Amino acid sequence: MKRQLIAAAATLALATTAACGAASTNSGSDGGDTIKIALIPPTSGALAQFGTDAVNAWKTAARLANDNGGIDGKKVELIIKGTDADPATTLREAREAATKDGAQFIGAVMTSPEHAALNAQLEGLNVLSFNGLGKDDALVGEQCSKNAFHVVQTSSMDITGLASSISELAGDKWAIMAVDYATGHSAAKKFKAAAEAEGKEVVLEQFAPLNTTDFGSYITKIKDSGADAVFAVEYGADGVAFVQQADQFNLDKQLKTVLGFNMVSEPLFKTLGNSIAGYYNNVGYDVDGDNALNKEFVAAYTEDHGSAPYYVPADNFLSAETLFAGIEKAGSTDPAKVADALQDLSFDSIVGNVTLRGADNSLMRDSYLGEVVKAGNGLKFKILTNSSPDVTTPEPDSACKK
Amino acid sequence: MTTTAPADDITGEMVEPVVIKRRPGRMLFGLGVGIAVLLVGLAIPYVLTDTYRMSLVLDATILSMLALGIGFLARHLGMISLGHGAFFGVSAYAVGVGITNWGWSPLTAVGFGILVGSATALLMGVLVVRASGFGFLMLTLALSQALYQLSVQISARPWTGAHDGKLIAYEPDMTFLGLTQADLINPGLYWPFAWSALVISGIVLWMVGRSKFGTTLEGIRENEERMRFSGYNTFLPRLVAFVLSGAVASLGGALFALNAGYISPQILGFTQAGDSLIAALIGGFGIILGPVLGTFLFVYAQANFNFGGNLHLLTGIALIVVLVFMPGGITGALQKLSRRIRGKERR
Amino acid sequence: MNAAQVLNGLALGSLLMVLSSGLAMIYGLRGVANFAHGALYMSGAYIAYSVSDRMSFGAAIVIVPLALAVIGVVLELCFFRPLQHRSHIELGLITFGLALIVERVVILVWGEKTLRVVPPEFLQGTSTVFGVEYPSYRLAIIVIALALAAGLILWLRLSTVGLHIRAASQDIETASIMGINVDKVSLIVVSLGSALAGLAGTLAAPYIALDPGMGNAFLITVLIVVVVGGIGSIAGAMIAGMGLGLIQTLSTVWSPSFAVLVPYLALTIVLLWRPTGLAGKRIS
Repeated sequence: MKRQLIAAAATLALATTAACGAASTNSGSDGGDTIKIALIPPTSGALAQFGTDAVNAWKTAARLANDNGGIDGKKVELIIKGTDADPATTLREAREAATKDGAQFIGAVMTSPEHAALNAQLEGLNVLSFNGLGKDDALVGEQCSKNAFHVVQTSSMDITGLASSISELAGDKWAIMAVDYATGHSAAKKFKAAAEAEGKEVVLEQFAPLNTTDFGSYITKIKDSGADAVFAVEYGADGVAFVQQADQFNLDKQLKTVLGFNMVSEPLFKTLGNSIAGYYNNVGYDVDGDNALNKEFVAAYTEDHGSAPYYVPADNFLSAETLFAGIEKAGSTDPAKVADALQDLSFDSIVGNVTLRGADNSLMRDSYLGEVVKAGNGLKFKILTNSSPDVTTPEPDSACKK
Repeated sequence: MTTTAPADDITGEMVEPVVIKRRPGRMLFGLGVGIAVLLVGLAIPYVLTDTYRMSLVLDATILSMLALGIGFLARHLGMISLGHGAFFGVSAYAVGVGITNWGWSPLTAVGFGILVGSATALLMGVLVVRASGFGFLMLTLALSQALYQLSVQISARPWTGAHDGKLIAYEPDMTFLGLTQADLINPGLYWPFAWSALVISGIVLWMVGRSKFGTTLEGIRENEERMRFSGYNTFLPRLVAFVLSGAVASLGGALFALNAGYISPQILGFTQAGDSLIAALIGGFGIILGPVLGTFLFVYAQANFNFGGNLHLLTGIALIVVLVFMPGGITGALQKLSRRIRGKERR
Repeated sequence: MNAAQVLNGLALGSLLMVLSSGLAMIYGLRGVANFAHGALYMSGAYIAYSVSDRMSFGAAIVIVPLALAVIGVVLELCFFRPLQHRSHIELGLITFGLALIVERVVILVWGEKTLRVVPPEFLQGTSTVFGVEYPSYRLAIIVIALALAAGLILWLRLSTVGLHIRAASQDIETASIMGINVDKVSLIVVSLGSALAGLAGTLAAPYIALDPGMGNAFLITVLIVVVVGGIGSIAGAMIAGMGLGLIQTLSTVWSPSFAVLVPYLALTIVLLWRPTGLAGKRIS
């Protein structure tokens, strides 16, 4: 008897508590006087550092915009949320941002799976998403959305850019060491095709599960394969472990070239140490880029946050520039109107004059290959080659039907 | 009532022998209360018009089915399982595969999901129910983590999407019991299904627990050897209980898949398993409502206190506090309190 | 299978061996599966990072196990001893909660970035052994772990305290009736077990990168090792640890996808075939 009554009472209590928030109404996204941008970066896990830097770039962009009287006369407001990079969490945050906080635009979402899940919901939520971090090709292919704008280079653009420079890198027998993840496999496939087209031989292709901590057996296999060059696609902690252990195994001794894909980047320079001097990697952004907007950005970002920007803040700042260009052309903050205004729009940015290709909502910009060199008592990237979009992404993916 | 002695620890083991009094009218009364709760609950979307809060309540309701399964097993069999997330997840993936890979209607896919989840529970049950205590915990943990590892293999990509997870791709004209794809993610419209599923599962589990079968289970929990010597088959009842709890979890997983539209591999992971167990524990295993309450609290905490990822700091502290000071969970503590107030302490 | 791959297996096995010996000791005596063991290991690694950053790696090898022993003392006095009448599962779940807290605290103190510890100068680079060039640091881990294992077994077999530990692990009530100070023995075991976890963390730091997920990654494997090795048997756990490290590494050469399943398969097979584990003497 008691039990049933407790059960009924508790259920009613639950219902009442849940009902307590009934006062608030849905906030609609209208063409109001503020540009509300929800940022959903990763705030925990190994990606948290990148999340912080992404948000910092948006903050600088917002500050510069607001100091100049806003965009199209409207103030920029950032709503900063967070996620653990699990797409379910990100979706929840996005829904909260769109319905409760009234955001019209979303930025700083990091990984490709999050973007894939988010893209499917954007039209239903009536928000636009600006992707400055997720590089998976499918995001401008079958997972594209008319509300999603792809600002960062896609993996395919980067790899094609790298591939066109293979002939400039020493080494004829390549070993591929990639993470067992979407981008790892597609990068390996494209690299292999390009290398073989250049007459190189791929002697070994290995995939390590994500979150591998011990690369010993993989490194031993590379040593035994007789390779004289390695193409490595390992992210975050995996990348650090791989580089560290390759160093311990003295792997570099037998290699002429180590080419990383999204493996070596500025935030990791200190952790990886001088052993990576001489490594090559794709570079998304040239901090020494010689144009007025870039110089202004670098100065402002350094002043705001204490260090020079690298590709993560740069791509997020570029996302902001893209959004602002769209709002100015549309003369409104209504997501549908901004989305239309962005179709095939060309504008000046920190990476030069760029165009947003309407067919797949992808930004046409250069990809770079860089070498890690010593600079002072630290390291920096020396840009070796840059490939333009008509080389790296001549045609949009026909799977994109937006 | 099958126990009138105060439950001493988290599994509700009895402190002193009790005479089991089963009054037949009680089942019907309980059924009536359950149906009333079901009908009242259907009105919630009309009261709670805030979409965000509604979606939280919906998430909690679906997740509660996982906790219900865990709680049932812990309460009646005294076995703590870290593997029920596997049934939830496998069922969700099965729904995804059914719709995306084979183009089935959502309803068929849901049925398929529940079937696959229950079959997984059967397979796992055959392997684990003979073990007890720590062995049972380790086996359920190991088997479910093995499933997780299998799901993120690159070879599983066409089925599960491996680390990228599975986005459910509907055909444009697919509907689920009258709801279109866009409706499925709308918490207010999806609510009747989730709520009915939860309440009905709760009623079924409660009735099973209070039936003669439930008594057998408790006998096995108290002393398995004695039951065996008394002539009872102890393997089959435990297996049935395990599969039943797994089926409830599978139902939750199938409903989850339709609502979320996206299945992340983390659903099968260690963190999810730990979270659902902790939520059920904090709620308390003593009554069927305990795990549900725990899950609602967890979802609420996840939405409001997860600043900078500190959620697990809080759940860790809450878990320790509950285990040390309130072994019956929150509902256990409330029960003790109500007993004390009514002066019916039997010590 | 060449010598280098076998050495890879031995290196991983050594790490598992050190880690599982601590867990097995605590489990044997207190009957508690210490779910916080992964968190202890992680704390050891992160403290080692800070100590070797400020002082040297050698200092870390001494300081970290001592620091973790202190944490072990706290664990015993605040949790295991006052709650010893509770069921083992409840204690295990309490350690689970502790693990969540400790892991979060480590992240709050050291941040989320991946960190790297450089091994001492004389252990950098490779040495030639069995005809292959192999990282000297990994060789050092193997040597240290084997020496530790031998030392631990000898100590348990030959010393008085060791005798008390073995007696209490077998049957704690009878041991206390026989006059063994069970509380003191328990304190020694828990702090030693924690110190071993800290040592494993320190050894692992230059071996694998430090990242916030490292505790969980090893926890399940180590729990499996202890259960497979046999409840109450420290030697069993150590052998199982070394064995699992070897099997898993060698399977990675053949099929990385299969290799990740090895621990789970081992556990399932062993528990179904011999529920007390390979060398276990007690019923769980």
